[in-house]
Amino acid sequence: MTFLQPALLMALPVAALPVVIHLIHLYRRRQIKWAAMIFLRSAQQMNKGLSRLRQVLILVLRVLAVAAIILVVGRPLAGGWLGLTGGAPDTVLILLDRSAGMEQKDLATGVSKRLAGLRNLAKAINDTTGSRSHLVLIDSALGKPLALDRADALLDVPQTEPTDTAADIPALLQAALDYITANKTGRTDVWLLSDLHQSNWDPAGGRWQTLRSAFALLQGVRFHLLCYPQPAQGDLAVAVDRVTRRETGDKAELLLDLRISRHEANPEPLDVPLHFVVNGISTTAKVTLKENQLVLQGYSIPIDTATKRGWGRVELPADAFPANNVFYFVFDDPPPLHSVIVSDDEAQSGPLKAALSAAADPSRKYIATVLGVSHAAEIPWPETALIVWQAPLPKPGDPIARQFHEHVAAGRTILFLPSESPDNATLFGMSWQGWKSADPGKPATPDWWRNDTGLLANTRDGAALPVGLLEVSRYCPIAGEGTPLARIAGNQSLLMRSAEDRTGGAAYFLGALPDPGSSSLARDGVVMFALLHRALNEGAGTLGKARQAFASASALGADPSLWHPAEQRPDAPTPESLPLRAGVVASGDRLIALNRPAAEDLPQTVSNPTLNDLFAGLDFRILTGTLEDTRSLTNEVWRTFLVCMSLAILGEALLCLPPRRATAAATSWPAKEPA
Amino acid sequence: MALPLHARHAMLGSVSGKHRSPVRGSALEFAQYRKYVPGDDTRRLDWRTWGRSDRFYIKQFEADTNLRLCLLMDTSGSMDFGPSGATRFDYARKLAGALGYFAAEQGDAVGLWSLGSLGSLARSKPVEIPARRGPAHLGQVLDSLADLRPDGGTTLLAALHEAAEKIRQRALVIIFSDFFVPPSDLKSAFQHLRFRKHDVAAFHLLDQRELDFDFDRPARFLDMEGGDAVLADPSLIARNYREAVRRYIVELDEVVRTTGVDYMRVRLQEPYDEVLARFLLARIPNHTAAR
Repeated sequence: MTFLQPALLMALPVAALPVVIHLIHLYRRRQIKWAAMIFLRSAQQMNKGLSRLRQVLILVLRVLAVAAIILVVGRPLAGGWLGLTGGAPDTVLILLDRSAGMEQKDLATGVSKRLAGLRNLAKAINDTTGSRSHLVLIDSALGKPLALDRADALLDVPQTEPTDTAADIPALLQAALDYITANKTGRTDVWLLSDLHQSNWDPAGGRWQTLRSAFALLQGVRFHLLCYPQPAQGDLAVAVDRVTRRETGDKAELLLDLRISRHEANPEPLDVPLHFVVNGISTTAKVTLKENQLVLQGYSIPIDTATKRGWGRVELPADAFPANNVFYFVFDDPPPLHSVIVSDDEAQSGPLKAALSAAADPSRKYIATVLGVSHAAEIPWPETALIVWQAPLPKPGDPIARQFHEHVAAGRTILFLPSESPDNATLFGMSWQGWKSADPGKPATPDWWRNDTGLLANTRDGAALPVGLLEVSRYCPIAGEGTPLARIAGNQSLLMRSAEDRTGGAAYFLGALPDPGSSSLARDGVVMFALLHRALNEGAGTLGKARQAFASASALGADPSLWHPAEQRPDAPTPESLPLRAGVVASGDRLIALNRPAAEDLPQTVSNPTLNDLFAGLDFRILTGTLEDTRSLTNEVWRTFLVCMSLAILGEALLCLPPRRATAAATSWPAKEPA
Repeated sequence: MALPLHARHAMLGSVSGKHRSPVRGSALEFAQYRKYVPGDDTRRLDWRTWGRSDRFYIKQFEADTNLRLCLLMDTSGSMDFGPSGATRFDYARKLAGALGYFAAEQGDAVGLWSLGSLGSLARSKPVEIPARRGPAHLGQVLDSLADLRPDGGTTLLAALHEAAEKIRQRALVIIFSDFFVPPSDLKSAFQHLRFRKHDVAAFHLLDQRELDFDFDRPARFLDMEGGDAVLADPSLIARNYREAVRRYIVELDEVVRTTGVDYMRVRLQEPYDEVLARFLLARIPNHTAAR
């Protein structure tokens, strides 16, 4: 509990005044010479327990009454949810989840989870710590600490504005940990404001253990998890998985793969009006949502044949979660899927080129180029979606290594294959461990591979790739920190994705070569074809002049100021927040449709038991709020103390009431006559 | 004519007097006959005269014997309770003096014993004046009575036992005290006196304030016999105080009933002459029956 006028608490010792007065009266009582002490002592003895208790109770109630008056004057604040005790911390670190899910609104008030939480937090900090604590804000979208001079600034600074991004909560906590460690913040209260969205919290991730261990070593760090896990009732979400422009004869049309979803326990058929805007022209269609999800494959929107490129959006009627009621898309002539194979070994580059040149999608153009290692500088970086590097890893300081990093940061893909004589060089945190051979005549097969996501995931219809049928005569295990996608010969990594550059493209390491002497990758073909084309498609997402991207700080590259909104809107975002908001942005002839990540549409949240596990061993408390709950985190509770004081005074008065006087007749007996 | 002081039990006197003696001897001399009136002791009817004259005559003797009156004064500090000049001890002194005077007037011997006080602060020395006859002795008793001062802690029980031992011949023992001791302890002292064949009478002197305990404010009560002071809030303990008084009275009544003590409870607010008259009247033989 804290007080708005804490200085007045200095008067608390005055509460002992009744005791002092009692003691003074005790020694200043009138004195009476008394003979019949035998009766007095007997009466005292009979009354001892009750009388003492009554006297103590009276004194306690008087002390309570005085103390309550002082506390009332001190204007107490109830910690309520907060448990704000122990005075102001040295630093208050506010970690803000700015994910799209935080924009879920209360339809009655229009207040989002983010705004409600910020308001509550600002008021609570103002009421409790005021300016006594150093305030620092770290938001999930930018991840940079921002010092605030006052709590009210939480509602004003751009770093708390809405976004359509995802949030990486472990990364946010890592940023907090880095800040606390670097700045020696002393006693620190960490406030984490989040909607507990499971995809953002990644509770199964390996980073939590590291974070727990690191925070456990810090003294005086307390966590307050201000959570708004309340799901949006009747929420509908729309997403566009794919946009294709098709021209047949003298007609042109856009084919959209649409997905409309909701999360109801007992879904009933619902007519949903879909509002399309393509290059500024609106059309409306009505679809019926019978289950929780409706997928419209190739939904056709006629367009002018002269319209080769453009942008548009699909909108749903407004509901409690407006962020997922709109999805932006752009379209253009699809760019060629360009891949480059860097290898001096034709036995390897041949099958790779054959696979990458084959058209998985007849409507696209595939180009695969083979370059020798000495010609690596000729790689056409801007139009290359995938680089397959079968050569020794470059040293980290080499220009080619820097170009690799930039390539991945731009959202492209690299697949590293081991050279014949791999060294111990490290790139993307990974390195080769040296060739190992399987037993002669008994090739190794992958023991495990990840089939839910990644390059070896099951096909769309759920069928598994025949990875288990691969025969590997020799393999080069991979060392380093990354996500294993396949293992061979016990626990040896066969395919891994680097843990670096998570927000951009991907760097994969495959520990087997396609030549027949090494493996059956080329002979069987299916696994290699799927693997290469998935990697190619991953890297192709950022190819071309029109592309889709998820809103994030890096979505527009290093210089977002080169971009501007394609559509002039009254609430146009600032250049800084442009990559964080959904919408279509343009730069020259390039178009990007920014949207919320698909995972933001999922309703799963982290449960309290899971939170307890994630923060096990740390000093934390969970404060769960709802949008309808307008109570402040702190309340002035002087009324409570006033009531306490009244009760204390009333009780004291009752205890001080003199007992009913016994009639004197009880002891005034007639003098006894002599017998 | 003043009311006589009668003994309720037979006395062993040295000379003839007005009190019944347990022995028949030369000291008993015939005085005269008088006509019988209802209420006379029928044992004294002269049957021979009735046989001769068919009339009832009472055979009167000159005297039975005299008595020894021992006045036992409690001189503990608690006897000093009350306003100056009208304390409990002053009241007792008046009663004792009057009774001593009555006894001397009817030729009885009078003695005085102080039931000594405890403690070095006791202002008066213990008094033990054996019972003797004569005006000069009465003067000595009254002077000593006037000199006694109540003070210090009580040794009432020990003093009563001591008196029971020291008063060798049958006597009328009258105790003046507030009896602020447990009645159960008092019982043995009374029994001791009765065992020595004494006729025991007790004036229990109490102030009405001691019975009512009617105070309005908390106060520090100082023990007049030198004990620890007691801080008390009368509003809290008055009920229990009166209950303690009631129990004490009930218990004391039982003690005096079983020990045969002639007990008289006196409130200091009563006129002492009325108390005396009530006491003396009650001791006249057959007084209760006559009434």
